[in-house]
Amino acid sequence: MEEQATGASACSYFCKMDIIQLKHINKRYDDGFIALKDINLKIESGKFYSLLGPSGSGKSTILRIIAGFTQPTEGEVWFDGKNITDLDPAKRQINTVFQNYALFPHLNVFENVAFGLKIKKLPLSQIKPKVKDALHMVRLDGYANREISELSGGQQQRVAIARAIVNEPKVLLLDESLSALDKRLRKEMQFELRAIQKKLGITFIFVTHDQEEALSMSDEIFVLNDGKIQQNGSPVDIYDEPINDFVARFIGESNLLPGRMIQDYEVEFANHHFQCADAGMKANEKVEVVIRPEDLDIVAPEKGKLVATAQTQLFLGDHFEIKAIDTDENEWLIHSTNGCQLNERIGLYFDPEDIHVMRQHESQADFDARLESYEGEESNDE
Amino acid sequence: MKKRQVLAKTYLLLVLIILYIPIFYLIYFSFSSGKDMNQFKSFTWAHYQALFQDNRLLAIFLETILLALLSSLIATVIGTMGALAISMVRKKSQQKVLLSLNNVLMVSPDVIIGASFLIFFTALGIGLNFGSVLLSHIAFSIPIVVLMVLPRLNEFDYALVDAARDLGASSYQVFTKVMLPALIPGIATGLFMALTYSLDDFAVTFFVTGNGFSTLSVEIYSRARQGIDLEVNALSTVMFLFVLLLVGIYYFITARKNKKTRKGLGGLIK
Repeated sequence: MEEQATGASACSYFCKMDIIQLKHINKRYDDGFIALKDINLKIESGKFYSLLGPSGSGKSTILRIIAGFTQPTEGEVWFDGKNITDLDPAKRQINTVFQNYALFPHLNVFENVAFGLKIKKLPLSQIKPKVKDALHMVRLDGYANREISELSGGQQQRVAIARAIVNEPKVLLLDESLSALDKRLRKEMQFELRAIQKKLGITFIFVTHDQEEALSMSDEIFVLNDGKIQQNGSPVDIYDEPINDFVARFIGESNLLPGRMIQDYEVEFANHHFQCADAGMKANEKVEVVIRPEDLDIVAPEKGKLVATAQTQLFLGDHFEIKAIDTDENEWLIHSTNGCQLNERIGLYFDPEDIHVMRQHESQADFDARLESYEGEESNDE
Repeated sequence: MKKRQVLAKTYLLLVLIILYIPIFYLIYFSFSSGKDMNQFKSFTWAHYQALFQDNRLLAIFLETILLALLSSLIATVIGTMGALAISMVRKKSQQKVLLSLNNVLMVSPDVIIGASFLIFFTALGIGLNFGSVLLSHIAFSIPIVVLMVLPRLNEFDYALVDAARDLGASSYQVFTKVMLPALIPGIATGLFMALTYSLDDFAVTFFVTGNGFSTLSVEIYSRARQGIDLEVNALSTVMFLFVLLLVGIYYFITARKNKKTRKGLGGLIK
């Protein structure tokens, strides 16, 4: 680790490096509640990360530990090659956009944004252009003299971002920063945050419980539950290849069924045998099978791999959401552009690669190795 | 409906008149050239002239104001720190005990507080003079300040402290740049209340004041006991006007404060 540390400081802008590392972080609160269990993660410079999980999963605690507001019970926080576990938050090159913005109500927009620079005792002649640039970045030109109470929620959000980025941090932390906005504004801010991150080229770590938000903005997502990192990877990886039933359920909608591996590339579930793309497991190993609702096609009963009866159907604008029960009494959720009749017998069709097989208690390393082995084989076939 | 409104207004007016008549009666006779309050003779400023030539009284007047300013300022500093300490107590039950101890001092009769101070000072051998009065005024003003500042602290958003630390502020800067501005309205109200409590206190002061020092309330009381002197009326009038001025200032400050909070609420709703 020490070698990495010296290497890191010599590292130029273009070289990929871990700006933040959490090593074996545990957090136990005074009342005995265990918020984090052995968290290890690496954050690379210049990327957009999301910490995604339900409330109480520990995602905000991780953010507070990185910012320095909370001390870990055990473990170390490394920043830019230095151990900063005991460093005061005021001295970290990290700034935070708080959940409810935490703007200073007695100061106007300019004074809020200038707060950090004034603390650093910069002369006003330097503060003014910096504040102006930051307000321009969040598209609030001309708002400098407004009172905070005169701003809408979206504008306050922008001020909070400007107040953080004006200090030119190496890492920006965002704690559920969009959750107070209405849906339309939230979408708009998602695009904008991503644009700001690209422009500044710094690392963003975004905490959210909204999977859609995490999927649409991030380069990489850490899915958390129960104080543990469940899975990390790109949004596509996590959506297409969830590591366990929690991730499958939490991210997107899914059909989850218990199953059994018959042999490589053959799995049994819903009382049928199917060809699949997974291998490397023991024969007869109990597994869980995920099929995403949008991967199910409605076909004529004789053409389907499974036969089911449609129970309910909702029209959701761009697709139908259909619930159907197959001959083995399993319920299936189907997203399809074609509707069907209620109580109609339908066939369900899916390709072998639409079946995603999950082993029980598989570590991320084993999981990644297993998936990689398929890819290797696929390229061999070609 | 209208009849009831008229009745209600008449009642209110009657109550106000009954409350204020004694004061205006007193003020009225301060301009009488007579010797007593039995009959208004003719208009005169003579009592006021006598008042302003009475060096002893002027000294007492100035000392009373000095006492009020000093005691309220010191009580505000101590009371604000006390409120901070109470709000930092983690256990809710302990916080309640502390707050109750604070409130008991507020509601206990002045006579008891005055008597206990007298016993306390004599037991410790502290002389009864300006110092003893100042100490007791500070002591009975602190709970008021605590009570005025604490609600502000309870509604204070501690995320602002994190935000300030995040932006590089030291603990001292967090306090002066973020917490203090949020507490100022409460502190100002506390200061004002302490000021008026000190100005119009009679019972406690009566116990702890010695030969050399007296406040206006005690002086007026002892003069009134010696027999009716219209100079007392003039003195009371001056004091009444002074308090009126203070109330005016207080309303001016709170009106400005309210305007700001209303603006804040508007922003929240939006």
